[in-house]
Amino acid sequence: MSSWKRLKEFGPWSRARLERDLEREIQNHLAYEAQESGDRRALGNIALVKEDVREAWGWARLEQFARDIHFGWRQVRRNPSFSAIAIGTLALGIGGVAAVFSAVDAVLIRPLPYAGAERLVTLWDDLSMSRTGEPKIASTPFEWIQWRRLNTVFTDLALTQPGQATLTDTGEPEQLPARKATWNLCRVLGVQPMLGRAFSEDEDTKSVRVAMISYGLWQRRFNGSPDVIGRKITLNDNPYEVIGVMPRGFYFVPARDTDVWLPASFPAWMRTSPAWHDAHIVARLKPGVTLEHARASMRALSMQVTAKDFRGPHSAMIIPLRAELAGDTRTELIVLLCASAALLLIACVNLANLLLSRSSVRRREVAVRAAIGAGRGRLIAQFLTESLVLSVLGASVGLMLALPAMRFLESLTPESMGAVRLTLDWRVVAISAAAAIGSALTYGLAPALGGSRLALLDGLREGARGSTGARSHWFQHSLIVVEVALAVVLLTCGALLLQTLHHLRQLDLGVRSEKLLTFESPLFRYQDFGKRVAFVEAELEKIRAIPGVINAGAASRIPMTDDGQATFYKLAGQSNDATPDQVALFRIVSGDYLTVIGAQLREGRFFGPSDRRSGAPAVIVNESFAKRNFPGRSALGARFQFGEINDTGYWYTIVGVVKEIRERSVRKDLGPAVYLLHEQTDQWSTSGAQPIAIVVRTAVEPTSLVPEIRQAIWSVDNNQPIARVQTIQEIFDRQLFTQSQSTALLGAFALLALLLASIGLYGVISYGVTQRTNEIGVRMALGATSRDILFRFGRRGLALTLAGLAMGLALSLGAVRLMTALIYGFQPNHAIAGTVVSVILLAVATVACLVPARRAARLDPVVALKHE
Amino acid sequence: MKTSGDKIELLRGTLDLLILRTLLLGPAHGHQIAKHIQRNTDDVLQVEHGSLYPALHRMERKGWLASKWASGEGKRELKYYRLTAQGKKQLVVEELKWKQVVNAIARVPVQAES
Repeated sequence: MSSWKRLKEFGPWSRARLERDLEREIQNHLAYEAQESGDRRALGNIALVKEDVREAWGWARLEQFARDIHFGWRQVRRNPSFSAIAIGTLALGIGGVAAVFSAVDAVLIRPLPYAGAERLVTLWDDLSMSRTGEPKIASTPFEWIQWRRLNTVFTDLALTQPGQATLTDTGEPEQLPARKATWNLCRVLGVQPMLGRAFSEDEDTKSVRVAMISYGLWQRRFNGSPDVIGRKITLNDNPYEVIGVMPRGFYFVPARDTDVWLPASFPAWMRTSPAWHDAHIVARLKPGVTLEHARASMRALSMQVTAKDFRGPHSAMIIPLRAELAGDTRTELIVLLCASAALLLIACVNLANLLLSRSSVRRREVAVRAAIGAGRGRLIAQFLTESLVLSVLGASVGLMLALPAMRFLESLTPESMGAVRLTLDWRVVAISAAAAIGSALTYGLAPALGGSRLALLDGLREGARGSTGARSHWFQHSLIVVEVALAVVLLTCGALLLQTLHHLRQLDLGVRSEKLLTFESPLFRYQDFGKRVAFVEAELEKIRAIPGVINAGAASRIPMTDDGQATFYKLAGQSNDATPDQVALFRIVSGDYLTVIGAQLREGRFFGPSDRRSGAPAVIVNESFAKRNFPGRSALGARFQFGEINDTGYWYTIVGVVKEIRERSVRKDLGPAVYLLHEQTDQWSTSGAQPIAIVVRTAVEPTSLVPEIRQAIWSVDNNQPIARVQTIQEIFDRQLFTQSQSTALLGAFALLALLLASIGLYGVISYGVTQRTNEIGVRMALGATSRDILFRFGRRGLALTLAGLAMGLALSLGAVRLMTALIYGFQPNHAIAGTVVSVILLAVATVACLVPARRAARLDPVVALKHE
Repeated sequence: MKTSGDKIELLRGTLDLLILRTLLLGPAHGHQIAKHIQRNTDDVLQVEHGSLYPALHRMERKGWLASKWASGEGKRELKYYRLTAQGKKQLVVEELKWKQVVNAIARVPVQAES
């Protein structure tokens, strides 16, 4: 039969004709039969014959499906309360999965904006076997040069370094986020500038002043005009030629918003320094080279290259670019995805239970269907289709719920990736559809099998209630245990994350964070040490004069923002060999700085008027430094050499000890740190460590003073930009932001899980009461008190809860291992989490069980006995 | 219920062959086909309507049979089936298959019943 003809038959008009013809044909046959034998016995089941014929027509299945859907829809409308619960439950489950998946897709699945990104890797130094013990730190330009020359596994390696760019052309001076990059960066990434070109090797090695700018800067500062190429701009007081504009949406580690790319152009000393760790290296694996092979090869090469390093040889580490970009977010998202899947599973288990309970209500309907010729397969198909209708409705509502959740999740995407806008794209819709179908099979299958078997077994027998109970009860009860266990796992994980967050919130930062404004003001115009000291003093003086400002200070780094700026030190009396594992962070600060941020003095004094440029070099150290080097005695008065470890280096005398200030970040370990007075650091003037960070303690809302502060600085130098204006509190909140977001999300999943599990528990107990009303009547008639009944039903629910609780606590031990990356070196108390979760669960479960149990206990025995 | 007395339930696939053979003699309607099979096998093979009509519709769909409504004996309009060219070819195929089945069964040794 031609497909055209087939298609025509599908139309309702020809379909009606076909049906009419079939009816006529069969009636004719029956008429003959009747003539011959006088009865219709041989006829069999007309409906079944017709059904079989329709099946022979070919599209019967589809049509049956359509009819089942229609029937399912009618069922949905007929039982609005059941349907609302089912659809709501599913919407929560599927919506959660859809929202979390959209974030997983954006961060972990969607292609990165580089050609062949799956072959891109980042390289790091692994000093864990050397005496410094850093597991992962930035590599050195020296290593880049050597690796590039000697490696056998990469087509090429490129390098980026921190850079700075102050744009002073027209209008206000602007500090732009900048990176320095080797000339081959674009080539390694497989990215071309959208306008112009990238640096050439020649420009890089000869330090030609050229720059590539971001699409954003091009639009913002140059109105997207194509003649920006070839234009000279003033960066850091030097003329640079703009040679390229990066494509829109281009980003690269470590920050999404780099506006200016400058040639790396290493100075000669940097090419040979084995300890200048500020380089991010990205490399492209040769075709056919596996990650494992590259790792082994680079470990060996790195040991060889660093053989002469005074800290001892060290290894290299390879991390795929995707993993480096995603960072901790990867674990967070995987935990959330597991949590949302668990919630969906709980929702399915709940629905399976609800449907099982209902299938006994629908027993008669099913029996009638079976009697008039529905086979078991047909019944199962119909049950499953009904589940599918519920699931599809649930998924639709779920997608609506997912939209606001996606706005929330956007903030979880890592800093280093491009700005992510989560949308309901086809992948999210596809995963929701898959979740809908999967869930329909999960919760629909057991009731469908059970329901259809029931129908065939019991037929139309009256009052068959309860006789098939044992087996389905057993099944329903195990479902409840599973459900409770999953909820316990989610609750425990949520409790642990909450503990961690609480712990982080309570951390002593070492500074008083309220009303403390910070910003950066670069000092590249003040290369001369004397002029720099004078300028910093002048700008601080102007800021202090602003009404509302209590005090102001300067430091080389803002607390909690940077784990760089560290160097070796040598105590008086030690040999040079001692230094490789003696590393301390250093900060160059103005005299008032420690007072301004509210550091807590433990011993000695802060810097004072006596510490002058010409005076004896003084240093303030933190407690970690003091404890490590002077255990059990006072550090005051001790001397050490810092920076260039040689006989001509400067010696400092410790005058004070402060409590640790979280310099690196909120989460990172405290370590030895020292604070040097700016005026006494002229030997540092080439290292780039300059007090560019200003902190201002205010009496009023700090951000309200920003315009005055800007004016104050411009009154000293009107080409001086100020950048990254933020309060310490903002820095703190931002660092805990993703942590609190994911904790909140996991907490929400956990509470929903608890809610669903208690609804499930309630449903099962309450169903048991309804089913066994007769039995209750008999028991009461035989003398059972309401207490006995209450106890009987309550006990069952609590037994299930306890079983689920035990299983859940055991499972959560495994789940916690998955989350260790999110718990950041903090040892949360599992016992407390477990106890709290148990108490909450038991309380909720008791209510869920007692409500139906009380209903049972209050039954009037007479009514109960008569109960149908 | 399906096999009673000496009536034999049709082997799967043989119904197609029987229908094709019957229609080789000329067009017939469903009841005629059933009766014809029954009569010609001395009532040994009985065609269930439950399988006859689905089979007819299926074979029509495959293009082996064609049908048309015509007035038969009396005032009734009846649906007559006839063999198509394709159906005749199919008959040869089915005959061949049937012979294979018979030969195969014949090769299985029979244990004498006591």
